[in-house]
Amino acid sequence: MKRTLLIARREYLAYARTVGFWLSLLAFPLFAVLGGAVPILMRTSEPIRAVALIEQGAEAQGLSAAVRDALAEDARRRAQRAAEAAEKAAQTGAQTSAAGNALRSLSRPGLRLVLAPADITTATPGPEQDAAVRRHLDRDAPEADKLSAVVFLTRQDGTPAARVWTARASDDTVEDFVRDALKDFNRKAVFEAAGINPSVVESTEAFRPQVTAFSPRAASGGAVSFKDKLPGFIGLIGGFLLWSLIITGASILLNSVMEEKSNKILEVLLSSASATEILAGKVLGVAMLTLTVMSVWGGIGLVGLLSAAPTQGAQVLEILWGGGLLAWFVAFMVGGYLMYAVLFAAIGAFCDTPRDAQTLIGPIMMVLVVPMITMQQALTSPDSPMVRILSWIPPFTPFLMMARMPSHPPLYESVGALVAMFAFALFMVWVAGRAFRAGALSDVKLSWKAFGAAIRGGGR
Amino acid sequence: MAAALTLEGVSKRYGDFQAVRDLSFQVQKGAICGFLGPNGAGKTSTIRMILGLQAATSGRIEILGSDDGRKVRDRIGFLPEERGLYKKMTPVDAIAFLGSLKGVPTAEGRRRAREMLEAQGLGASRNKKMKELSKGMAQKVQLIAAVVHRPEFVILDEPFSGLDPVNQMGLETVIRDLAANGATVLFSTHVMQHAERLCDRVVLVARGRKAFEGTVAEARATSPRFLELEGIIAPEAVAGLPGVTGVEILSDADGVRTLKAALATHAAGQETLKAAFLTGLDVRRFELRQPSLHDAFIDLTGDHPDQDQSVAKAASGAAR
Repeated sequence: MKRTLLIARREYLAYARTVGFWLSLLAFPLFAVLGGAVPILMRTSEPIRAVALIEQGAEAQGLSAAVRDALAEDARRRAQRAAEAAEKAAQTGAQTSAAGNALRSLSRPGLRLVLAPADITTATPGPEQDAAVRRHLDRDAPEADKLSAVVFLTRQDGTPAARVWTARASDDTVEDFVRDALKDFNRKAVFEAAGINPSVVESTEAFRPQVTAFSPRAASGGAVSFKDKLPGFIGLIGGFLLWSLIITGASILLNSVMEEKSNKILEVLLSSASATEILAGKVLGVAMLTLTVMSVWGGIGLVGLLSAAPTQGAQVLEILWGGGLLAWFVAFMVGGYLMYAVLFAAIGAFCDTPRDAQTLIGPIMMVLVVPMITMQQALTSPDSPMVRILSWIPPFTPFLMMARMPSHPPLYESVGALVAMFAFALFMVWVAGRAFRAGALSDVKLSWKAFGAAIRGGGR
Repeated sequence: MAAALTLEGVSKRYGDFQAVRDLSFQVQKGAICGFLGPNGAGKTSTIRMILGLQAATSGRIEILGSDDGRKVRDRIGFLPEERGLYKKMTPVDAIAFLGSLKGVPTAEGRRRAREMLEAQGLGASRNKKMKELSKGMAQKVQLIAAVVHRPEFVILDEPFSGLDPVNQMGLETVIRDLAANGATVLFSTHVMQHAERLCDRVVLVARGRKAFEGTVAEARATSPRFLELEGIIAPEAVAGLPGVTGVEILSDADGVRTLKAALATHAAGQETLKAAFLTGLDVRRFELRQPSLHDAFIDLTGDHPDQDQSVAKAASGAAR
């Protein structure tokens, strides 16, 4: 036991002492935050464009008013969305300072209409007017005269049209906005000409039927709320999390054993500890490493969730603790990790390079795609025959049962699958122990045949 | 003196390949025993069986009073043929870790590591990473790691391979020191000179079989003394000299031959030489030589110690 702990400690410290480990540990939450914040930052940092509207000819009369109205309506809608979001955040007790600022920034319109400069409006249409426009769009123009875009509104064949000059050729914000505004204006005119009230069309398009879901399994006994759907999402996320943690842990172990094999350390270790002690120590060490990752990510996620949305955070905690989901998660994590970790370690004992390991790891990874696909079905149809049968197959049990747990499968299925999984995990420990010992002392090329022979021979 | 290691009729088979055949020998406590044979002769397989890393197909092994090397692993120090340590660890950490697996508390292991590294001239490199050390330095570190727990029995598998002559001499000193401090040392090699200088006893193996067990002097005695003669001489003429039992041509350059004339056990070399001159043989150079362990090995096994016998290894995987 002491030797197992010593090997586990070395295994843990070998990774935990590296800068790379801590960088990758903190990189995930950092990039998760950045992933959410960067688009907002990009939007808020966008400059507000100064746009001048010029109606060309009498037939264009009213088009600039249409664009102006569209801009005002856009600003009103943005402000309304921001207010709704702020109200929702206040209801859930979320921190309002940073989020509120972001929402306020987003609610700002991206365009600002300015009076058209006189030198453009008085210039003769054609090259002279174009030259005046160019002067105002030039990057070296005085700040007071500088414009982001100049829009000439006109009519072609009786329908609204526009020529949009922009300071940057790649910036199509003004172009898109003007196109939408003129499209709406034209639609309204067409409906009016056809004798249809445009407000009727508008309200018809805006209609959203009120549909309420009911289920006898809902917490209220009737109407289904977000809280009722939350366990399913948590189960699915838990399944995916298990998959990635187990495979990550097993892969770390594979690489660690391969490194020892290629560096000729395994034989020295085998003269100092039994194959079982080495295998157990390495599995334990990497498990501690995985636990560290889980704790740090889980802690950061929990603190973030409770800070940003305390009500939803409390609901998640209630489901994890109250529903016993966390206990099942831990049980499936232990069994699943044990199954795959010992198998990957045994394969690693035969290999000097990842290429050597590919022969056996490739097919295993292909099989592991099955629960990834089936888990999504488990969210909507947790009791479908396919999902139920597959969840009894030990290599798939941890992921599929985790995804099914929120739907409260029959107890005999939960416990039975768990027992079968642990029985299989113990069998894998026995098999892998024999293969590990044989692989550590062998320089035979890895194949399924050699692997099978090693297990039969027991490595001695 | 009691035996620290006993092998009785030990055999090891890998599938169709017989790596070790009916091997029996003993190593007395406190002795330095050379386990000699060409590559592929079955030395590493035997060592792994002694350590309990592999089971014998048949036969009995007893080491330090135990029938299983694994039960007394804390009392054994082992340096494998294929050596390596954790590249990212420092020598002190690596030695302390391997020592801790053998029951040495980590702090004590670190203290001993510093001391032993200093004694081996590696004090300045003790906190460097293993990957920064030269091959010779890394081998010294590994040897220290193998004996940091002060084992009663030390097994060194081809310890001299890869070392330059200076480090080889240093290692010979280390081995002598280990024995002087009471440890029993079994080391395998295919280079006979090391065994001649170091060993109390030797075990010669070839093709998985024991060819000889005894002292170096006894091994040499099994091989005849010989006269080395150089000149324009016919081998048949030398074969007719008194006391000569056989003649071997060592070289032939434009009729000038170097001949090795084996002498009968009680033959007087001087009489043979005298007869050579009296019969008018054109002898330009002569030397009466005692057989070396290398000569004895060839005579005893019919094989050359530098010849690789692991032809079946590729097919059998772990056949060394």
